[in-house]
Amino acid sequence: MNGPNEGAAARKIAGKALLYLILVVFCVITIYPLVWMLYSSVKTNGEIMMNSFALPSALHPENYAKAWTTAKIGTYFANSLVVTVLAIGLTLVCGASAAFMLAKFKFRSRDFVLSLFIVGMLIPMQAILVPLFIQMKDLRLIDTLASLVLAYTAFGLPLTIFVLESFIRSLPDSILEAAVLDGASLPRLFMCIILPMSGPAVATVAILNFLTNWKEFSLALIFISTEAKKTLPLGLYNFIGAYSTDYAQLMAAMTIASLPLIVMYALFQDRIIDGMADGAVKN
Amino acid sequence: MDSIFKNRKYIALGLAPAMIIYLVFVLYPIVRSFFYGFYDWNGLSKPVYVGLSNFAAILSDKVFWKSFWNNIYIVVVSVFGQIPLGLILAVILNRKMRGAMAFRFFFFMPMILSTVVVGLLWSTILNSQVGILNALLKALALGGLAQNWLGDPRFAMPVVGFIVVWQFFGLYMVILLAALQSIPKEIHESAALDGAGELTKLTRITVPMIWGAITASVVLCIAGGMRTFDLVFTMTQGGPAHATELMAIYMYNKTFDVYKYGYGSAVSLVIFAISFAFILSSRALMGKASSEGKGGEA
Repeated sequence: MNGPNEGAAARKIAGKALLYLILVVFCVITIYPLVWMLYSSVKTNGEIMMNSFALPSALHPENYAKAWTTAKIGTYFANSLVVTVLAIGLTLVCGASAAFMLAKFKFRSRDFVLSLFIVGMLIPMQAILVPLFIQMKDLRLIDTLASLVLAYTAFGLPLTIFVLESFIRSLPDSILEAAVLDGASLPRLFMCIILPMSGPAVATVAILNFLTNWKEFSLALIFISTEAKKTLPLGLYNFIGAYSTDYAQLMAAMTIASLPLIVMYALFQDRIIDGMADGAVKN
Repeated sequence: MDSIFKNRKYIALGLAPAMIIYLVFVLYPIVRSFFYGFYDWNGLSKPVYVGLSNFAAILSDKVFWKSFWNNIYIVVVSVFGQIPLGLILAVILNRKMRGAMAFRFFFFMPMILSTVVVGLLWSTILNSQVGILNALLKALALGGLAQNWLGDPRFAMPVVGFIVVWQFFGLYMVILLAALQSIPKEIHESAALDGAGELTKLTRITVPMIWGAITASVVLCIAGGMRTFDLVFTMTQGGPAHATELMAIYMYNKTFDVYKYGYGSAVSLVIFAISFAFILSSRALMGKASSEGKGGEA
């Protein structure tokens, strides 16, 4: 009597197992290359040449030390950190103040200014690579970290303003009015009320800008030529020529470059996933 | 009271920093590229006005067309690879599976990596000496299939297409999963009661209901495919023999290898125009498809 039911239950379990199998297969294809990068980074070049699959027989953390100093990953890391942090700071200060104006102030050109920034999200960076290079040359900024800070800020502003404007607009006007009645000055209102209340939105755009700036390659490639000023993605690109057979060091260097991104991702995965998906769809 | 929120001086001061940076480093360069596209200029001497001849030269350059078709290849692989794959995984993860969040975390991970790292990592994986792909094939007694994957013009583009899908499918999965989660559960339940199978539910209910998200994904694939640069530049620099040349790589080589800034600006304008044309026409086509679909149901 319960034959058909058992059959249905068995089919349901088999179906579920099949779904898990699909997920696990894709998971392995996605993650194994990264796991391989991680464990190859503590093997010797000889071990990698002999058997690229095998796990390390002993740990060789000296690959990291070599990558950090010999391959100058330490210098690139420091440059990336400086550029990324300065660009985020500048983007947030400029972006939040503009977003505050656009969200709470009344002026005729408001819609025009906002749409000007929104248009920026549609412009592919490649389309202005050449003119931007010429611009930086004219401003004598070529081969400076400042060129990257300014360009990353300019490209980060549209999304930053877009997110912050809609968040600040949703804050109740009554709070602003109360603060003004209490005699708060405008800078004070901005620093002590608007910014703290926009905390979650500010954090989201800061994280998204961090990821974008830390990964950026194209602009660094055309702006920077001096070794000592290269950022991580550009410095890694050096490996293609100079260290192309030192695979262990390459893997260590790539792991160092990826670590801040992966830590950020592990800490803020929901914010990052939602923010990147939203930002992508807005584009 | 209201006056402070209408004070022009405050408004100008508040907007100025963002406006100045944005104007100087985004809007003005675009205007300038329109200008330089019509000039012959090597970056040092005085630009010479040459009318449309840069554009004529681009459109008659075989290498440009090769790169154009390679961009189209990436767009097609993205649209028909990433979106269906993203949709299938999103549908699976939408079924209250145990561990769904962990799978989502892992699938999205390649998205957050630097494209340079992805390019170098895959170059190593596909390397004919130390690469694990050929090693895997040998271990499976399929050593005959081992190839110099990126060095062979026959395989280079398919391999690039695979890696693009590998890096970005997680984004589409997340976009489509968010759309799926906004479909009310009752709709699926009543369809199940009506005896609709899984495939019918997918094609008749799920896909039409998230058509907006699918359209946005297609536009994203086109925009992304048209601007692909970093990944291929780090893996092949457009080689072997222009086999993986892309429009952005073509632009880079013309501008920074042979110092034809005017020509490079003209290439940027062409990329810009082509991307916009494709995005607008895909929007129009898919918008039409969705309104026809709705008309059919009504």
